[in-house]
Amino acid sequence: MADNGVGAQSQKSSLIKHTNLECKNLYDYLKSRPPSVLEKLYNHPTICLAVYRELPELARQYVIRILFVEQPVPQAVVASWGSQAFSKEHTHVSKVLTELSVWQEAGIPGGLLGWILSPTFKKNLKVALLGGGKAWSMSSALEVDSKARDVSFLDAYSQERWECVLHYMVGSQQQEGISADAVRILLHAGLMKRDEEDGSPVITRQGFQFLLLDRQAQVWHFILQYLDTVEERGLDLVECLTFLFQLSFSTLGKDYSTEGMSPGLLIFLQHLREFGLVYQRKRKAGRFYPTRLALNITTSNDKVPDIEEDAPKGYIVVETNYRVYAYTDSNLQVALVGLFTELMYRFPNLVVGVITRDSVRQALRGGITADQIIGFLKQHAHPRMLDLQAKQPLPPTVVDQIKLWELERNRLVYSEGVLYSQFLSQADFNVLKEYAKSIGCLIWDNNDRRTLVINKSSHDDVKKFWKRYSKGN
Amino acid sequence: MGPPKRFSSGKGEGSKSSKRRKKDEEDWTLEEEDINEIDVPEGEGVPGAAARDAEKNDQGVQEDEFGAKDYRSQMILKPDNSSRPLWVAPNGHIFLESFSPVYKHAHDFLIAISEPVCRPEYIHEYKLTAYSLYAAVSVGLQTNDIIEYLKRLSKTSVPDGIIEFIKLCTLSYGKVKLVLKHNKYFVESPHPEILQKLLKDPVIQECRLRRNVENESEEFIKQVQEKKSVPSFGAKGAASGDQGSGEGTAVPDDITNFYEKMDNEEEDEEASLETVSFEVNQEKIEVIQKRCIELEYPLLAEYDFRNDSVNPDINVDLRPSAVLRPYQEKSLRKMFGNGRARSGVIVLPCGAGKSLVGVTACCTVRKRALILCNSGVSVEQWKQQFKMWSTADDSMICRFTSEAKDKPMGCSVLVTTYSMITHTQRRSWEAEQTMKWLQEQEWGIMVLDEVHTIPAKMFRRVLTIVQSHCKLGLTATLLREDDKIADLNFLIGPKLYEANWLELQKRGYIARVQCAEVWCPMTPEFYREYLVCRTSKRLLLYVMNPNKFRATQYLVRYHERRGDKTIVFSDNVFALKHYAIKMNKPYIYGPTSQGERIQILQNFKFNPKVNTIFVSKVADTSFDLPEANVLIQISSHGGSRRQEAQRLGRILRAKKGAIAEEYNAFFYTLVSQDTMEMNYSRKRQRFLVNQGYSYKVITKLAGMDEEPDMMYKTREEQGQLLQQVDFNLLWGILNIITTQVLAASDIDCEDERVPGEGAAKGGAMRKVGNMGSMSGADDAVYYEYKKSSNLNKHPLFKKFRY
Repeated sequence: MADNGVGAQSQKSSLIKHTNLECKNLYDYLKSRPPSVLEKLYNHPTICLAVYRELPELARQYVIRILFVEQPVPQAVVASWGSQAFSKEHTHVSKVLTELSVWQEAGIPGGLLGWILSPTFKKNLKVALLGGGKAWSMSSALEVDSKARDVSFLDAYSQERWECVLHYMVGSQQQEGISADAVRILLHAGLMKRDEEDGSPVITRQGFQFLLLDRQAQVWHFILQYLDTVEERGLDLVECLTFLFQLSFSTLGKDYSTEGMSPGLLIFLQHLREFGLVYQRKRKAGRFYPTRLALNITTSNDKVPDIEEDAPKGYIVVETNYRVYAYTDSNLQVALVGLFTELMYRFPNLVVGVITRDSVRQALRGGITADQIIGFLKQHAHPRMLDLQAKQPLPPTVVDQIKLWELERNRLVYSEGVLYSQFLSQADFNVLKEYAKSIGCLIWDNNDRRTLVINKSSHDDVKKFWKRYSKGN
Repeated sequence: MGPPKRFSSGKGEGSKSSKRRKKDEEDWTLEEEDINEIDVPEGEGVPGAAARDAEKNDQGVQEDEFGAKDYRSQMILKPDNSSRPLWVAPNGHIFLESFSPVYKHAHDFLIAISEPVCRPEYIHEYKLTAYSLYAAVSVGLQTNDIIEYLKRLSKTSVPDGIIEFIKLCTLSYGKVKLVLKHNKYFVESPHPEILQKLLKDPVIQECRLRRNVENESEEFIKQVQEKKSVPSFGAKGAASGDQGSGEGTAVPDDITNFYEKMDNEEEDEEASLETVSFEVNQEKIEVIQKRCIELEYPLLAEYDFRNDSVNPDINVDLRPSAVLRPYQEKSLRKMFGNGRARSGVIVLPCGAGKSLVGVTACCTVRKRALILCNSGVSVEQWKQQFKMWSTADDSMICRFTSEAKDKPMGCSVLVTTYSMITHTQRRSWEAEQTMKWLQEQEWGIMVLDEVHTIPAKMFRRVLTIVQSHCKLGLTATLLREDDKIADLNFLIGPKLYEANWLELQKRGYIARVQCAEVWCPMTPEFYREYLVCRTSKRLLLYVMNPNKFRATQYLVRYHERRGDKTIVFSDNVFALKHYAIKMNKPYIYGPTSQGERIQILQNFKFNPKVNTIFVSKVADTSFDLPEANVLIQISSHGGSRRQEAQRLGRILRAKKGAIAEEYNAFFYTLVSQDTMEMNYSRKRQRFLVNQGYSYKVITKLAGMDEEPDMMYKTREEQGQLLQQVDFNLLWGILNIITTQVLAASDIDCEDERVPGEGAAKGGAMRKVGNMGSMSGADDAVYYEYKKSSNLNKHPLFKKFRY
């Protein structure tokens, strides 16, 4: 118990300092952009369509209903479209639409408030839905590629490129390095940091968490971080985003022309190529193939079942005796498993490890959560484990135990407090103690040493009371 | 009754071994218990080769960047690796895919040549040890076959070190046999050159018995063995249903071909084998055995019972109703593989029908049989078993215990306890006569029940007293915290068979048990006290934790309502009495008389009103309680894995008609959170977890707070309990001579004497106590509290316990 306490305490301080990896989805990301940027983005039908696709169902209803209404619709009317029982959903949806600047408030004659769609959004969504406007810049008007690439090639390619980045992160010497640009992004994203001694990049706790994410979330997170640095490179954020969205509407296994792309966009394309989002045979090939990674970035998890095919076959067997057997020879996968297991033996195609309290605690200290570990094990569970009991790919006891190990670290409750001490008399002390007790903010007291700790939020009250009291005396 | 002879396992040694263990654990060798770190009385009965350890083979192995031992450079992956099931590590660990199409073949093979380390659902781990290879040789496997088959089953090339190890351990083993024929002992071997070599040794020469002294250059006795059929055991069990299950899947031809070849070999092995032998002087058997071990040619004992014309056959047969299960038959086939009886140990989980195996073995040999077990109650149970499965009747079975002394003369099956045999004090005239008779007899077979519990010393004494042709050890857990188990290999014989718990459970031969660990938070008062007090007192505090009491009460009620039969185990006698009296349930512990015990057990079996009994560790082994299906453990013996397995065994007997439910038996261990108990519990569970059991952790029992009139709900009540505990401790310290302190600290196992043993209980049962305290011995903390308990007692008072 004692060591638990100490451990938790030191944890606490580090917890305050470090933030855990934040995973934004498209909505979160756009929400945090200034309205001017959003306005610019909505100039492109593709983005409008992508945003529309990602809206909650109710919001899509609203948008379609007022798409062709040229004047503000009273808010009360919008609210009346749904039954009272779903008012909560309504409020939520209204908030989403406002935050994304899809619609805005507008006064209508009679002093009522109404909603009107943002004109740019409206115009371009109409284009996206009904056609018209100029062609989407990614034209596919190309003669047939003499060396066309098929889907499986693209999948393999994208996987290899992406793993290259991950390999670099876990610091395995197995693979070639990655470009300085990519390293910069990793550093910027806080996934790696410069080692204090030799300045070489080393992985951070966020980096570890990143590794345990599924592939799609990884790509999306990485791209977001990349977009953050886009302006520094003199690239246009809106242009890049637009291109990304266009990519996400492209067809897998089809080639597209680079014609008409601005120089900035061509640089962006080269970056995407490095991470395996697009495939280009040569830098100046004039055509590129989007890969599955690019196709999936903007859609949220549940919609794309085909990502599963792309995911490597499950390779981890977890036993009820906490043994972990990973059928792999990839350093990356071994490193990942090694994050929370003690590895014992390595055979040419198998790694044997065991999940122990220590190994899990070490992972937890590194900022990985129990859910992430369990999620990772589930995601990569060996097909054999899925066969037998479809309901539970992992032994429930192991899952429970990992969670318990996490809980074990959170047994101390923290509350901020203010220390009162050096009372002149026991009577003073007692009075204040009684008062603090009566308003329920006393955390701790010690009669002998005449000290007490009071909840910080009530500090002002207690202070006031003390002033009044001492004046009264 | 002299003072108990304790094994000199002081604290220093304990901490040393624990340090070593720690180091081992750092080296990732989790199976520290398999490493021979025993301080065996050196060189006694253990050949040099047995001390060899494959574990050392990989000391120079590079660790990769992730801290794992990197074997990749030592082995080459075969292109068709996916259809082969094994990885063989240079340190002797073998990993087996249980879902492989050739699993069945590989499994049988591995069981024969290696020790199972853990066998959960998907991937099993085995370990090659000197002992396991010795066992493999003794059931007739050849060095080259072992290596060849291992090579074929492996996904990768087999490391050279392992091949070397196998050769080293097997080449000299199993080549020479000690055979008892026509009541003369022969040393027999198919390899004349080995016998020549042995005979060059002066000691062995001395042991040789020459019939006609004149002929100095006499030849060996040559003999051609004719084909012998394997005896069949009673009625065949249900035909094993997995024939042909592997069809349709790709099995490399070389594996199946070889497997068939090996299978056949095992069946009609030695079809016509020329062997040479020389006769040995009967008095010098011990000497020659020992000498051969020193020469690294351990003698395998075999008993050619069919050709034994001196000892009369007994008229015992299996009843037609006795149906052997496939695994029972398999284990017996290992024993009687070549038409003779081999000595060895058969390991079956509790409740899987060990007794039937024993009875069948006796009926197969059909010579006078001696059954040794470790308590009066199990003597009765063995008699029952004999009457149930075989044609033996009361007149043929003789019990020899302090309470029941049947007339032994002329009986064919004698059932007794270890302590009766090894008793050194004065006996009654009657017992003296029986002993005399017993010593004069030449026993055909000796069955040793719960063989893991008896210490080597006691065992040697049994062997000197009783002459038997073949020895069969039966146990559920070939496991001891002090690693003395290895001695059995050479005292009785190799392990012949070990069953897979999970497989038996799947097929419904033993109950499906849900194991659960219930975490009971310490109440603040108890925990404060726990933190400040001495170690010995801590035990009482965490056992008497009011939350634990309430959890027990809740579970007992819950299962009573379901109509289950519950046994509550407590090692701590103070707690046992307190819990039982508070809840108004019957309890059994050391001082409970034999009659009362039987009465309580009978009531538990048949009386629908008695559904819960409280027992101390006297019931750990061999109380056969087929009705019980719930077990609650409130205090236990430190970190003893064996006790855990034994206790689980109490509820393992297959339950009727419960196939529908996912689980039909429940095993709860209650532990007080944040105390030593948590560590003990983790350690205890290791064996069962390796057998594939999983413990569910329950942090909160749903519905416990709603339960009406639970005890110790309020703080006042809890405070009273604490005072009681305090008082009990205080009382204990003040009155060292009273049994109170023993009850309170329960460190000494003295109170676990079995009164049924009568006069015999003294030295012998004390030994069992010692054994108990030694299990868990490699736990440093355990030693500490043991020591402190000894400090409390003045040596003078030791004698005045009762």
